Amino acid sequence: MRPFEFAAPDSVRQALHQARDGSAYLAGGTTLVDLMKLDVMTPTLVLDLNALPLRGIRVDRHGLRLGALEPMSEVAANGLVATGYPMITKALLLSASPQLRNMATIGGNLLQRTRCGYFRDTASPCNKRAPGSGCPAIDGDNRTHAVLGTSAQCVATHASDLAVALVALDASVVIHGATGTRRMPVAELYLLPGVTPHQEHRLRPGEIIAEVVVPTLDWARRSTYVKVRDRSSFEFALTSAAVAVDLRHGVIEDVRVAAGGVGTTPWRLPAVERALRGRPMRTDVFEAAAMVASHGAKPLTHNAFKPELLRRTIVRALTSLAV
Amino acid sequence: MTRSPVGTPVRRVEGRLKVTGAARYPADHNLSDLAHGYLVLSTIGRGTVRSMNVDPVRAAPGVLAVYTPFEPPPLEPPWAQDPTAGIGYLQFPMQDKEVRYHGQVIGMVVARTFEQARDAAALLEVTYQRRTPNASFADGVPHATQGRPPVDILAAGTGSIDEALARSEVTVTATYTQHPEHHNPMEPHATTAVWQGGHLTLYCGAQAPLLRALQVAPAVGVDPARVHVVSPHVGGGFGGKVVAYPQSVLAASAARELGRPVRVVVTREQLFTVTGHRPAFSQTVSLGADRHGRLNAIKHDAVSSGSVAGPYFGDPADWSRTVYRCPNIHLGARVVPLDVPPATIMRAPNEEPGSFALESAMDELAATLGVDPLALRTANYSTTHPGTGLPWSSKHLDECYRVGADRFGWHRRAAEPGTRVDGDWLVGMGMATLVYPAARFEMAMRVAFRRDGTADVAGATADPGTGMWTVLAVVGADSLGIPIHRIRPDLGDSALASSPLVPGMLAGAGGSTGTASAAPAVRAAAESAIRALRKHAVEHDRSPFHGLSVEDVHYRDGVLHAGRATATFGELLTATGTGRIEAVEATGQGDEVTRHAFASFGACFCEVRVNRWTREPRVARMTCVVDAGTIINTATARNQIVGGIVWGVGQALLEGARVDPASGRIANANLADYPIPVNADIPPVDVHFLSYPDTVFNPLGARGIGELSTAGSAAAIVNAVYDATGIRVRDLPVTMDKLLAR
Repeated sequence: MRPFEFAAPDSVRQALHQARDGSAYLAGGTTLVDLMKLDVMTPTLVLDLNALPLRGIRVDRHGLRLGALEPMSEVAANGLVATGYPMITKALLLSASPQLRNMATIGGNLLQRTRCGYFRDTASPCNKRAPGSGCPAIDGDNRTHAVLGTSAQCVATHASDLAVALVALDASVVIHGATGTRRMPVAELYLLPGVTPHQEHRLRPGEIIAEVVVPTLDWARRSTYVKVRDRSSFEFALTSAAVAVDLRHGVIEDVRVAAGGVGTTPWRLPAVERALRGRPMRTDVFEAAAMVASHGAKPLTHNAFKPELLRRTIVRALTSLAV
Repeated sequence: MTRSPVGTPVRRVEGRLKVTGAARYPADHNLSDLAHGYLVLSTIGRGTVRSMNVDPVRAAPGVLAVYTPFEPPPLEPPWAQDPTAGIGYLQFPMQDKEVRYHGQVIGMVVARTFEQARDAAALLEVTYQRRTPNASFADGVPHATQGRPPVDILAAGTGSIDEALARSEVTVTATYTQHPEHHNPMEPHATTAVWQGGHLTLYCGAQAPLLRALQVAPAVGVDPARVHVVSPHVGGGFGGKVVAYPQSVLAASAARELGRPVRVVVTREQLFTVTGHRPAFSQTVSLGADRHGRLNAIKHDAVSSGSVAGPYFGDPADWSRTVYRCPNIHLGARVVPLDVPPATIMRAPNEEPGSFALESAMDELAATLGVDPLALRTANYSTTHPGTGLPWSSKHLDECYRVGADRFGWHRRAAEPGTRVDGDWLVGMGMATLVYPAARFEMAMRVAFRRDGTADVAGATADPGTGMWTVLAVVGADSLGIPIHRIRPDLGDSALASSPLVPGMLAGAGGSTGTASAAPAVRAAAESAIRALRKHAVEHDRSPFHGLSVEDVHYRDGVLHAGRATATFGELLTATGTGRIEAVEATGQGDEVTRHAFASFGACFCEVRVNRWTREPRVARMTCVVDAGTIINTATARNQIVGGIVWGVGQALLEGARVDPASGRIANANLADYPIPVNADIPPVDVHFLSYPDTVFNPLGARGIGELSTAGSAAAIVNAVYDATGIRVRDLPVTMDKLLAR
């Protein structure tokens, strides 16, 4: 870890004022501190946001509002969330461990960095960490890497479970910046790696995620998040699926499907949704629709199983909502 | 009379210290003026260090010393007689500029704090002359060299194992592979070294404290008598804390140079290359049998990965000579030397991979023959050791099979694999035989009666979580006939060695020999101490027994009797003004090994559930029935059996280092990317002990249990996955991507 300055602003305004080139915001610290210890992130100034009033879990006419500094564990334990948006609760409870969920925040979760082992090892080249240095993952250890949204420069998987659920639910983030406050769909927050894998999101330097807004969606009560991994707990997804179904008399009136563990960003699957809409809630329908989930997937040496596993994950998630 | 605690569940005597945080582990010794060493590792897989720019490191805050191959720490060559040389490494760090593998120690920064040392180390610039490492085990398997000469046990008139196979009515042949597995004990390897007046004290986690002193002393050029190793709580060992890895010698060397205590902690990530691991294996097993399943031939050829930097390789085929009655057995051991870190022993070193291969092959043979896998095992039951023909000293494996099948409900196993479904889960059952050879090492123990009515039971053994603290207390209480709370056990300290290290002596924990070695020595020392106490009673003029004949003074349950006169040993020692009466005895294996073969046995039954959609396998329940002689403490024994099964779950479903063939770098050298089981992966485990004392083996009748359930439990899981899915996975770990085929 390199020496750094530390400050704890007590207002959003002050935080925005103190932010500078080379500064990093600290919330739960479960990503930032890790990566600083590994010398992957080397901020010269760390701004602790925990005194900022970005808390609260409430429902208003816009929908569900989650303060960016709410710990994952608080949101996971919230009854409003569990009843109205089970896929959010499940995505949170299947993330990390209780200790980490007590520390990690909603905003920090959305901005967590990839778990790619080459990104985390400063002795390895990595286009995301050191632009232009190369990507050993493409021909290396890539069992956990992405098959969708990849580029010749980067195949790192986006690690957040929560973001997959939020993308499925058309959620937005409220962003505070020096020039004011703006709102952006979570789906637009993330950038594909392309030729600039070091640019991961559309936040401008110094901007702060203040809040997550999940629009009202009554039928999100019938939703789930399925996460598939080698170990039963405390591991990132090989594949995951966030699914909500508006089921009327056995027919899928409307549906949301998004996938995790397979994309360089959380991956909404509109083609799967189209293939399900208006069809009966049956396994053969699920299987046919899931076939299009992996269209365009580019498997690597060690993750060729992911397209098939993704299709099965979607079928499993839909099946669990049929009962 | 005091009831003997042997065979009852006894809480760990040091348990309170551990759960309250009062137990001090090697890195907990915060001495004043303590400095911290941080290791720098190579970032190439093969080559030479050309230059190191240490200037920015030296200029960093708090830095006291920087060691590199250009300015190496003064170390003498490794001890030529080191009994652990075969499981250790060949070169001490930084004594030359050669890089033999990725992650080799090429530097150490010592600073006032750990953080300063770590941060300064990050500033070190290294240039290398790179060469291409030879790091692919798979590529090397066809060119493996002989590890040891092949063993062929052939029936009269049979010319070769292949001839025996050709003559068999049914044969199965398959190759089983597994990746390297890495030691990750709870406390990473750490040493705190302190010099005082030419004497060195090492606080370190050592499975054999005396051995550690003997290893480090020559490295720093002092007499072993001047090295004191303190290791009451090891922080987990499992074979990984037998060898003195670089942290011990570097801490000792730097502490002397700097004239202040130095601690070196190997970080979790560094453990993967700085300390030893279990090699990668590729094993080909051919079984030949008649159509009833009676074995005619076992051909087990194993290839192990090896390292250019260390001599160790695994010999898993050796397990196949201990299990089934079979007239023709071939055991091959070859090795692929690679530019990877030195390997070492790891819980059930040969038996873990060997049992996976043979017990998978047995399951394949059962499927081929259409017989019950359990019936196939009983059809090949051995009453003598298949290699030597010696009778087993005590073997009740048949009862393990019977009781285990009954407790588990084996009869409910479906006739066809892949046919039992429960909701979203495919259900399967599998089983395997557990065998682990029983051995004892020479061990010395001291037992002392004290004036305050307590008794010391002490020796230079170790408790890396095995329960040895409590074994000493239980066997001491049993041998002296006094309650356990009056026994003061002591171990994990080289100064407690009551005799010099002799050939055949481990003086620690390893090879499932700890209890079988220590318990008889405690009993012998207790008997000697009682004799010495009686002698003292009749000889001392202030004793109430003074002048009597020794034969007339009897000892029972802590009390001396002669006619109407009685005195507790505390009263006697108080009366005579004596602090302690003690005796030391060493015991070991005798000539019983020429007449019998010895092993612990068990049967392991497993139910797995495989998700019908996404195919991830989960262990649902396990039953393990154990025949390991007398069980000294059923609480810690159960813990050992369950712990060994946890390792089986890791081996079968999760673990495996992925070595990048191009760079020699381990791609998943951390606990996020190298998954080990978490609590959620471990199902209810039903452990049952048969407890037939094996008094041929030792007077207490206790055999080893530390590794037994690791020698077969992975095979039981893999066999259950086959039963659930109809898919035979021969490459560990069994992950869902290998089960998506249908």
